[in-house]
Amino acid sequence: MTAPGAAIRIRNVSHHFGEEGDPQRVVALRDATLEVARGELLCLIGPSGCGKSTLLNIAGGLVAPSEGTVEIGETRVRGPLPREVAYVFQESALFPWSTVAENVKLGMLFQGVPEAEREARAESALEAVGLAEFAQHFPDQLSGGMRQRAALARALSLQTEILLMDEPFGALDEQTRLLMGEWLVGIRRRARKAVVFVTHSLQEAIALSDRIVVMTARPGRIKDVLDVTLPFPRDLNAPEVTELRAKLWEQVREESLKAMGTLP
Amino acid sequence: MGRLAVLACQAATLAALVLAWHVAVRTGLADPLFVPAPDAVATVLATTAREALPRLGDTLLKALCGYALAVGLGVAGGLLLGSRRLVHAVAMPYVVAAYGVPKILVLPWIALILGLGTGTAVLTATLFAVFPILLMVAAGVRDVDPTLVTAAVSVGATRGQVSRKVLLPAVLPSVLAGMRVGIVFAMLGVLLAEMFAGTRGMGFLMQRMAMAFKASELFAATLIVSILSIVVVLSLEHLNQRLSRWR
Amino acid sequence: MTVLAWRLGILVGFFAVWEAVAAPLNPLFYIRPSSLPGALLGMWRVPDLPPLGEHVWLTLQEIAGAYVLAVAAGLWLGFLLGLRRTVGRIYEPLLAALYAVPSVVWYPSLMLFFGLGSASKIAFGVLLGFFPIVLSVLAGIRQVPATLVTVAQSMGARPFTVFRKVMLPAMASTMVGGLRAGLALSVVGVLVGEILGSRAGIGYVINYAYGLMMTREYAVLALLAAAAVLALDTAGALVEARVKRWAG
Repeated sequence: MTAPGAAIRIRNVSHHFGEEGDPQRVVALRDATLEVARGELLCLIGPSGCGKSTLLNIAGGLVAPSEGTVEIGETRVRGPLPREVAYVFQESALFPWSTVAENVKLGMLFQGVPEAEREARAESALEAVGLAEFAQHFPDQLSGGMRQRAALARALSLQTEILLMDEPFGALDEQTRLLMGEWLVGIRRRARKAVVFVTHSLQEAIALSDRIVVMTARPGRIKDVLDVTLPFPRDLNAPEVTELRAKLWEQVREESLKAMGTLP
Repeated sequence: MGRLAVLACQAATLAALVLAWHVAVRTGLADPLFVPAPDAVATVLATTAREALPRLGDTLLKALCGYALAVGLGVAGGLLLGSRRLVHAVAMPYVVAAYGVPKILVLPWIALILGLGTGTAVLTATLFAVFPILLMVAAGVRDVDPTLVTAAVSVGATRGQVSRKVLLPAVLPSVLAGMRVGIVFAMLGVLLAEMFAGTRGMGFLMQRMAMAFKASELFAATLIVSILSIVVVLSLEHLNQRLSRWR
Repeated sequence: MTVLAWRLGILVGFFAVWEAVAAPLNPLFYIRPSSLPGALLGMWRVPDLPPLGEHVWLTLQEIAGAYVLAVAAGLWLGFLLGLRRTVGRIYEPLLAALYAVPSVVWYPSLMLFFGLGSASKIAFGVLLGFFPIVLSVLAGIRQVPATLVTVAQSMGARPFTVFRKVMLPAMASTMVGGLRAGLALSVVGVLVGEILGSRAGIGYVINYAYGLMMTREYAVLALLAAAAVLALDTAGALVEARVKRWAG
């Protein structure tokens, strides 16, 4: 896993749902090529239905692409890679019948990590997300934000190099969302993973990423890649940010209108 | 897998079962006294049908009578049970208990009082069918979204209008679901009553065939009744879908 | 408090009306509730009635046998149809068609094939009991949240682990409902089988008493059987509540 610089290499990936001739066939992605550098946070942004989640799932090996290849490290991806890739979804996907601590330890359990180490890693992951006191609670006793933090702790505990997040804060209210964003930045300072983050929010993309990838409306292609070189923590009122946001919005707006069915 | 392929597989499975059945009887694996060969059944099918048809008609008629009574009682009772909080709280344990008790235990008493004929069969059918209808309708009424009622009242609907324009359409799916289940229970009740204490009807005929070891005829009769039931239920399904289309 | 008062009132009223209606009529046909306790006490001493203990024990054994087989068959069929998509598409409609047939039509054939002994009762109990179990397994599989399965797979769980650690707990509350209904129906199947034709068991004794016009004894037996079934179902309800609380 010592590829020169790239954690994930996506090459000419296309994907469709449904067969030729099927009236409900959908081309989700067309010829996407992308590289995610080690330790960088990359945002995927674009209108609804542009294939960002599909691309994320293909990158992590959950879905096999109709065409094209994905490499993680030096290996060609042919299925889920639980030791290299961890996920956080929009629905926290915590098991309602297990406690927070049990949920966090679950992935390690599946991968055969010995008990003592499981306990240790779970404890430090819960500390990192600030849920140490809630270890014995059940998911339905926690708020939405706390559940996502637990899901994040679960992903962190797997100590993977890559973290894939599909609109993880999408179901949260705005205040919680902003705070979670700050949290994520803080955590990344301690553990520099490669993160691919799917979002709808321009604000979030600018606040968190090193690079922003804008996708077109369906069929999704990579429209543009914007570098964000501002230092952390980012002042969202700074002029550079405003300028960047305007530029980003221009791109995203065009594609969103196309997705909605009207051109400017 | 396409629809046609699925149908083909189903037909193939049924054919295979009939073949296995045939082989089992021919090779002596199954005693022909208890298990008739498929061709033996086919031979008596016509004669059995002729004997069975009037009795089936009798059974069906009794079932429909009981069913009609059950629907009337069940829907009315269900509406009452579902809409009045006090009634629900008081009566529910009894209804659930009555539903949970095997109703066959009451059958001898009914037969004792009403005799060995139509009355017993119809009452048993009603008894069997009324409970699922009642419970489903009551549940349907309780599930009605209260905001719909509030909205109607806020634009000036009277009690009667709320019942007719909001509650009735909202409850209709549950009523139809209960009615679909009820028909099978009604038929069950009649057949059971006939097997226990009847002189006419399909149930009695089948019981008699079993006692006389007329295996082929019994198989044929069972087949006829099964197909009839499936047809009745499927037609009701179809009717239900047709009716629901306006929604 | 009023609720309890009303409930008690209904119960008392029911027996009062029953007693009042039955009193002037032929006690043989119209069983008076007041005569029942006396019959209960006298029953153990009545020489005409077969020894109750043996029959009760036999029925219990038949119920146990039927239920165990119903659970085994129901779970097996339910998972087969639910987990294998193509198999399910082919055979589920056949199962639904079977469900449309009033179960009692099978009983004469079962009696012919298995005879009047316990086997036909157990077979009928299995036939009735396995349906709700299969249906609840199918429903349970359908409502397992897909994201939980995806997450588990992404963390490296193999298919069997996914089944054990994700699907089964997620299905637990639905399945336990089906298992409870299956028990109720197995009991009904055995009882109906015994009453329609048998040489032993509670149903046989009920039939026997009824045949000899020992109507009070029949009523006592029927009420006791009903009470026993209700007790069993209440126990089932408690188990179901327990499981539902755990499954979250």
